Amino acid sequence: MNERCAIVGVGQTHFKKRRDDVSIAGLLREAIDRALADAELTLRDIDAVVIGKAPDAFEGIVMPEIFLADAVGATNKPLLRVHTAGSVGGSTLVVGAHHVITGIHGTVLTVAWEKQSEGNAQWGLAGGRSGGIGAGGAFAPWMRAYIQQSGAPDYIGWMVAVKDRRNAAKNPYAHLKMPDITLEKVKESPMLWDPIRFHESCPSSDGACAAIVTNEEGAKRAPRPPAWIHGLSVRSELGQFPGRNPVRPQAGVECAHDVYRQAGITDPRSQIDMAELYVPFSWYEPMWLEGHDIAGPGEGWKMVDTGETDLGGAFPVNPSGGVLSTNAIGASGMVRFAEAAQQVRGLAGEHQVDGVRTALAQAYGGAAQYFAMGVLRNTPPE
Amino acid sequence: MCSDFIVSEPRIIETKLEFPYSRTLGPVMGAFFMALRDGQLLGIRAKDRRVLAPPLEYDPETGESLGTEMVPIGPGGTVEAWTWVDDPTQKHPLDHPFAFALVKPDGADTSMVSAVDAGRVEAVHTGMRVTARYRSEPQGLITDLEAWEPTKS
Repeated sequence: MNERCAIVGVGQTHFKKRRDDVSIAGLLREAIDRALADAELTLRDIDAVVIGKAPDAFEGIVMPEIFLADAVGATNKPLLRVHTAGSVGGSTLVVGAHHVITGIHGTVLTVAWEKQSEGNAQWGLAGGRSGGIGAGGAFAPWMRAYIQQSGAPDYIGWMVAVKDRRNAAKNPYAHLKMPDITLEKVKESPMLWDPIRFHESCPSSDGACAAIVTNEEGAKRAPRPPAWIHGLSVRSELGQFPGRNPVRPQAGVECAHDVYRQAGITDPRSQIDMAELYVPFSWYEPMWLEGHDIAGPGEGWKMVDTGETDLGGAFPVNPSGGVLSTNAIGASGMVRFAEAAQQVRGLAGEHQVDGVRTALAQAYGGAAQYFAMGVLRNTPPE
Repeated sequence: MCSDFIVSEPRIIETKLEFPYSRTLGPVMGAFFMALRDGQLLGIRAKDRRVLAPPLEYDPETGESLGTEMVPIGPGGTVEAWTWVDDPTQKHPLDHPFAFALVKPDGADTSMVSAVDAGRVEAVHTGMRVTARYRSEPQGLITDLEAWEPTKS
């Protein structure tokens, strides 16, 4: 029997290049304390903790959830670690919510983090060897393939970068804030991995995000509006296999279809009011709009071109400034869910989209092979 | 042609790949390691007034933040439990036989794992008094507490 489930508290740290004033434990605790305060709960009200982060090689601590047990309040409580590369923040929230939906626990704390300044993600991604091509190098050929297939003009990537950087300027937690960014500045920034220029790339951030999920009883007690979960899905596929379409991974298509079906969505573009999509490099915005069937083939970039994905557009994407502006890798997936939750709760502040009733959160990871998605609404499921 | 290239002896190039991580310790462990470098052990005062050693940021029972009330402890201590290491490897803290022990520093209410440098197994017993020995050239690491040695009476 499925329990109704809602997000009743979210907390983020202020994301920065280097948080050398806190330990890893202290960083997580900042996000946790904010989520608890939002929900007006204490650690005593938490039944279980689910913790997520990207590869252990990023900070060089193996199984960090063990030494973090005190800091996340997991003493004598079930503690579960999730690891699905960059999508892990999303998967972590999904796993936490599943414990509530299945009735195993009443209230679950989920928390995800990365402290990139303590290591070198590019080196970590290369499995501890030098000469890695990094995430940008891995994704760039697929973006070129997208551009070739869709006929998108090169300025689409610059437009996404300008939008997300300007949106981030309205978000107090965002890392890179560039209110004065222009298409010209993006265009003139150095080319990193063709077609990705410097200003079309995410930064390396330190930070954490926490979200508290609870059942219907918990949601009724919540002091602020809950963000009700109407659909959750995770899918994965191999990073490479003959016939794979990395521009539109099948796992991403099926993850989207699953989550739409759960939420009763038949036309995502009109039935969803805004989306937080995992866009670490500009071109992933149109690619996911198509890859999750929000736009038809070759139509994703046109949504960008016409301003539909702007903060004031018909289908705003990443009003928070997105991963492009803030990327504490393990946290980034959960931030998508947390920001989507704040939008349906009407608590997003300066980057609030007017009248959000249905929001989509999405995270991807690895070689665009792991997906976690959720549909949140301001009203409970039927 | 190929025969023009005569290899007299195989060339071997040795390389060492490493990546140093940097760790930010925060206010509690940061204070502990700074003091240790100066030859002083610190514990932290928990909510129940116990002194925890080594200091923790969060209460192991309740998860409460413990703040930053650091308490000087040691340099004397008492062995609470121990095991003898007869054949140390390169990764062990000492290059000769020693005991791994739970040592409760004076002024602390918990014990910490350390090496006890007692020379021979017969010299170690539970309840024995030991004194901290610090590295002469501290590195800012836990191994700055090199070992505990039997207290001379």
